[in-house]
Amino acid sequence: MKINVEYLKRFVACDLEDKALKELLAGIGLETAETLASDGETVLDIETTPNRPDWLSHYGIAREIAAKDHRLRFTPMDVSGASLDAPSTGFAIHVEDAADCRRYSGCIVRGLTVRESPPDVQKLLVSLGFRPINDIVDASNLVMMTCGQPLHIFDLDRLQGGEVRVRRARRGESLRLLDERDVALDERHLLIADARRPLALAGIMGGLDSGIGPGTRHIFIESACFDPVVIRLGAHALGLKTDASYRFERGMDAEATLPALKMALLFLARSQGRRLAPAFFQDAYPRPQERPVIHLDKDFPARLTGMELPAAASAAILGRLGFALRDEGGHWAVTPPSHRVDAQCREDLVEEIARIHGYEHLPGEMPLAANPVLRVDGGRVAVQRLQCQLADAGFNEVINYVFQSPEENLMADPQGEPLTLKNPLGRDFSVMKNSLLPGLLKNTAANANQGIERVALFEIGNVFGQEGKRVLESRRLAISACGLQQKKDWRLAAQAFDFAWFKSQLALLGRRLRLELAFRQGRHPAFSPSCCFAVEVDRRGCGWAGEVAAELRRFAKLDADAPVFAAEFDLAALIAAAPESRFLPWNRFPAARRDFTFLVAKSVRFEALRAAIERLRPEALESYELTDVFQGQAVPADKVSLSMGFTYRAQERTLTGDEVNAAHRGFIERLAAELGLIQR
Amino acid sequence: MTDELKKEIEGARRSFLHDLEHVQSPEQLAALRERFLSRRKGQVSLFLARLRECPPAEKPVAGQEINRFKEFVEEALAGAEAARISASAPWSDPSLPASELPVGRLHLIADIQRRIEDIFQQLGYEIATGPEVERDEYNFTLLNFPEHHPARDEQDTFFLEGHDDLLLRTHTSPMQVRYMLAHPPPLKIVSPGKAFRKDDPDATHSPCFHQVEGLLVDRGIHFSHLKGTLEAFCRSFYGPDVVLRFRPGYFPFTEPSAEVDISCFLCAGKNSDCRVCKGTGWLEILGSGMVHPQVLRNCRIDPEEYSGFAFGMGIERVAMVKYGVPDLRLLYDNDLRLLGQFG
Ligand SMILES: [Zn+2]
Repeated sequence: MKINVEYLKRFVACDLEDKALKELLAGIGLETAETLASDGETVLDIETTPNRPDWLSHYGIAREIAAKDHRLRFTPMDVSGASLDAPSTGFAIHVEDAADCRRYSGCIVRGLTVRESPPDVQKLLVSLGFRPINDIVDASNLVMMTCGQPLHIFDLDRLQGGEVRVRRARRGESLRLLDERDVALDERHLLIADARRPLALAGIMGGLDSGIGPGTRHIFIESACFDPVVIRLGAHALGLKTDASYRFERGMDAEATLPALKMALLFLARSQGRRLAPAFFQDAYPRPQERPVIHLDKDFPARLTGMELPAAASAAILGRLGFALRDEGGHWAVTPPSHRVDAQCREDLVEEIARIHGYEHLPGEMPLAANPVLRVDGGRVAVQRLQCQLADAGFNEVINYVFQSPEENLMADPQGEPLTLKNPLGRDFSVMKNSLLPGLLKNTAANANQGIERVALFEIGNVFGQEGKRVLESRRLAISACGLQQKKDWRLAAQAFDFAWFKSQLALLGRRLRLELAFRQGRHPAFSPSCCFAVEVDRRGCGWAGEVAAELRRFAKLDADAPVFAAEFDLAALIAAAPESRFLPWNRFPAARRDFTFLVAKSVRFEALRAAIERLRPEALESYELTDVFQGQAVPADKVSLSMGFTYRAQERTLTGDEVNAAHRGFIERLAAELGLIQR
Repeated sequence: MTDELKKEIEGARRSFLHDLEHVQSPEQLAALRERFLSRRKGQVSLFLARLRECPPAEKPVAGQEINRFKEFVEEALAGAEAARISASAPWSDPSLPASELPVGRLHLIADIQRRIEDIFQQLGYEIATGPEVERDEYNFTLLNFPEHHPARDEQDTFFLEGHDDLLLRTHTSPMQVRYMLAHPPPLKIVSPGKAFRKDDPDATHSPCFHQVEGLLVDRGIHFSHLKGTLEAFCRSFYGPDVVLRFRPGYFPFTEPSAEVDISCFLCAGKNSDCRVCKGTGWLEILGSGMVHPQVLRNCRIDPEEYSGFAFGMGIERVAMVKYGVPDLRLLYDNDLRLLGQFG
């Protein structure tokens, strides 16, 4: 809202310098976004809020200054010199539905000569961002900027049938607007029409045909109050936003139409150089604007704010703001002024009192309120542990947008139904992510392509999808590693990331939550078929891990040849599976260990060996581990040599050496027979 | 006097070096140490004793000379002793550089969010999180944004294809509604998380951003309690000396409402060229207010009995203000050169 400071001071005789004025305004909620100079005058561009349409004029700001400084008075323009004393015959105003248009006041003025506005009016309008056009159009703009009421002025000769009608458009009607755009209309649009056709979009924009031109002689001036929602929906439907619609959709003062008409007559009288008497006047105002009566306990302002606010101070402030108070003992019955369409409840009044009294008087006090039960989110603690574990292992956390391109969604799940934005910022951000992996890959590429040797990342974020009408949203953890796990220095050799290292890190993450992660060979579009695992806890899937598929690498434009290892987990599944700790007595009997080194065909994966061990394991076998993998001259080309250690222990006694040997020998023989192992 | 002393020290230095060169055994090395550094009659002590005879004006210079000689002798002896010991053991040099082991970090936004959460947890707030795809009702209607109200324009909203009642939440406030509907007062929560507005990314806007919002509802809660709480938070987070400034503001779900500024934690308003506050002395960091009675009613809480306050802050804004990140887009580029600086 542009305010010309010199013009403003005509309505409130305040002698503040610009800086002090801005401070005063900021103190009551009117922040100056920008201070402009226009032809030697100061213009403040003031930020206003959607609840205060009354601020959208010089009157509105002047009223606030007068309320804040009790020595000042708001002095509106004296419009008593203009008269609306005119016949209501020979022309007619019809409002079809008072719900659409609360008030419609109009008058006809004849015998004008369109001319330029006086220089000072032109200068004022320019300072407020308007282009002066002619004295008639300028007068309507100046009225709006002065008192807030939007006017519309028609060329009377273009109106047919001697009437204006405020009515909804009919489907199939159309109108060429002032900006020369043709719009198709329907029942959503409120029109000003004459007897035959639409003339203007009510409260939004006039029509080109009935507008003021150089030859205009007679005019019809409209000063109306339209329903905010009707104007808002109509303007939205056409993608229009005008000074008038901006004001009407916020709610205008129905009591302001007549003073605004008079003001217009006075402005025109000045430019035309003669007194103007309307030839017609009608005021269609079927139901006067209803104003709430708000019950305000005298101690409530102090109670709600904690400020020291004696009743007299509250009453004085409300009075200065134009609120009418009726003292009813312990409380007041408060009626807001007609321009304060925002004031609806006692809290609104308290804000007014506190705001004008000054928020700087607000003391600070610590509340004693406490939650009766302090719920601690165990999942949050678990996630924090995972974050720290990953950071400690050298992974950096990233945060990406939640939306991505449809192609990126296909990379992770070609079948699932994507959740799509109706109004995305662009195609690249048009679907809600179904996986964090494409984003992570893009981050990997962006960093690796800069020559960063070690790119280890993770992200925690939500993914989305839908099943029929149901929207799915779940939290995931994605991890990736590309490049060097360790760079070379004088004591350590350079070491590239490999899947074994990556898998170990994942296993460690699982152990942080006391979970044993199992990796089961699987297929997933984001991972290469030769290295792709479904990750399970207690046989239940909780994520995927592997080497990133070539298509996804290409899509992310990763230059380097180095493989990318990645994993994605469903966090809820991990957290749900994490067990509560509970004491378990440990085995106090000694353990016995037996080692076994053997050749196995390369076609047998360790996973198969493990499955066989699990199936055949003797009761006394407590644990086992792989201690060596060897391929060398002594090993045939189609085989590898593995060494394993097996630990035996009984629950309730010490096993003898013979018992261990017998159990071990039998187990190894069965295992060797099943998988064709050759003992070395 | 000083010149004379200088000459004698120079002579002692030459003699020391000569003897050091001819040391054959640990015993000889120990004797050399005794001869020069013995507290009672070592050469250094003898020089120091002579200092007393110096005229006061020359004392500092002479003292310095003697000290320099003492340090020279000590270093030379230590080096000779270390060389003797290592000559008999395999070579090692513990002063070789440490290996550069990789270290990872939390994202700056996650780190800030966690710190804010921690402060409020210590103040007894519960952390409550909710979905990012939210119902229009919770994001707007129940928060007193009427369906066709211009206040909705201020939060340019992403909508979802095929789900007219859903949107990407424009703030984390819907969590307040969810929580109030599920729990009777008294209640005290903070709800952190992502929020979304249809803004093209630029230095100060992002279509995806992070907020932490707080809510407290109980009997007898007033506006000053909001200020006291935010003072406690800001002094913990920004520094014990920051001062708060409340300015009138507007949010549909609070009444009265306030924008909250803190005094500049860097210059306290004393530097007109301050890079943090741009010389204004104030930093806009929070929006807040008393929960609107209609919001309480919408959440089945009686505003005649209970009142409450709510506040919210943007984490990206904190990153820019407190950590000097100059452009919001950098926070979503995920460039390791930035990520490595924080967390
Ligand atoms: Zn500063």
